[in-house]
Amino acid sequence: MNEVSPDIDIILQLQNGDKTALYALYDKYSGALYGVILRMCRDKEMAEDLLQETFLKIWKKIDQYDATKGKFYTWSYRIAKNTTLNALRKASPLIQNEDLGVYKNIAEEETFRDYSELNGVVKNLEPQHQKAIELVYFKGYTHREAHEIMGVPLGTFKSYVRQALLQIKNRYKEPTAIVWLCIEVFGNG
Amino acid sequence: MYGCVLKFLVMDRKKIQKEGLLEQYLLGELSAEENVLIEKILSSDSELKKQFELLETNFERMAFENAIEPSEAVKTRLINSLKSDDAPVITLPKDRGNTPYAKIRLLVAASLAALFAVSAFWFYSQWQTTEEMLQIVQKETVEIKNNLLKLEANFLTKDSLYTTLNNKDVIPLVLQGNKLLPEARAIAFVNHQNKTVVINPQSLPKLKDDETYQIWADVDGEMISMGLVPTDQELVALTYIDEAESFNITIEPEGGNNHPTVSRLISNVFL
Repeated sequence: MNEVSPDIDIILQLQNGDKTALYALYDKYSGALYGVILRMCRDKEMAEDLLQETFLKIWKKIDQYDATKGKFYTWSYRIAKNTTLNALRKASPLIQNEDLGVYKNIAEEETFRDYSELNGVVKNLEPQHQKAIELVYFKGYTHREAHEIMGVPLGTFKSYVRQALLQIKNRYKEPTAIVWLCIEVFGNG
Repeated sequence: MYGCVLKFLVMDRKKIQKEGLLEQYLLGELSAEENVLIEKILSSDSELKKQFELLETNFERMAFENAIEPSEAVKTRLINSLKSDDAPVITLPKDRGNTPYAKIRLLVAASLAALFAVSAFWFYSQWQTTEEMLQIVQKETVEIKNNLLKLEANFLTKDSLYTTLNNKDVIPLVLQGNKLLPEARAIAFVNHQNKTVVINPQSLPKLKDDETYQIWADVDGEMISMGLVPTDQELVALTYIDEAESFNITIEPEGGNNHPTVSRLISNVFL
């Protein structure tokens, strides 16, 4: 069962053209989406523009959202990711093939530490698992691009993702996870 | 496409898990066809559906744990941009232009437009050609008119000269060259009634560029200039001098002289 469905009323309001519903969803999800967009494009000003564009698309396309197929966050994440990838492709017109990705000219470097550092359960994963999740969940790479960046076969990369997700699932299941999370949050200030 | 469908039809839950297809579906990495197939499988496999929902939940939790708050300005801009969308929008019927009748009308309109465009271009080309020809004709007409005016002026001059020479009162006088220039010859036409003198210098030899023939009238031993005689003209009008006793031709420096250079007198004739 889908455990979170409090959005359903707000989404219905939004589908009826209520802008306050959009602003409510913005208040709830803008941080999570901005975290992804900013990690993908690594440019604060651009990321803010793309976040605005993402919510304008949500406003226009909300009729296409089908709650039976998935959570609102998943749907809006895909919009944010595609919007960002398109913007990055426009910024790098030489890159034509979308499978090649838009990051070929941006080295996967150690800059941008302040934004790219991950928090929460991901932070405590083993390095290869953390990297795999970071690449596909937070930086918008496809599995095919990400395994090349990590320099491992695609099958191995998929195993990393699977193992990482399993660990994440188990950590979230643990009753101490909440306590641990609180310590983590308060510990980091 | 067929291979893809086949691949998914034989796909069991384990294979989907092993291939990481749920993750890729979640992340929007799959093609439209693959999405449809995964959604179909999810709707019929409750166990897989549960796994996907857990995946989504954890995915969302991770996203919240890694959220970064954007500046307040973004929300303000979003609100403002939606305010500007508040103007009423008239929506056209969606099926407009899609009916066969409308399509035919569109085709007819497009054909007519193309026809008008082609004929307009043809007329424009014709007009341009005609305009060019008209300009050429106008230019030629102006040239012909100018030539006619020149011919008329020339004719009037010749006619006037002919009348002058053909007058019964005209006396022709031949000026023959002396020893200095024996081949020289000129004919002066004197009309004492009208008091005119013209001379035909055609038979005077060409001089150097800095020299000219000048003709003088002798009145009581005083030489009075009647004018210069350029040799490139058929007839040259001279100043008629009363009581001239003779006409005398000298060679003078270019532009003429105040007094005749007697040493270069080449011809004279008594009246």
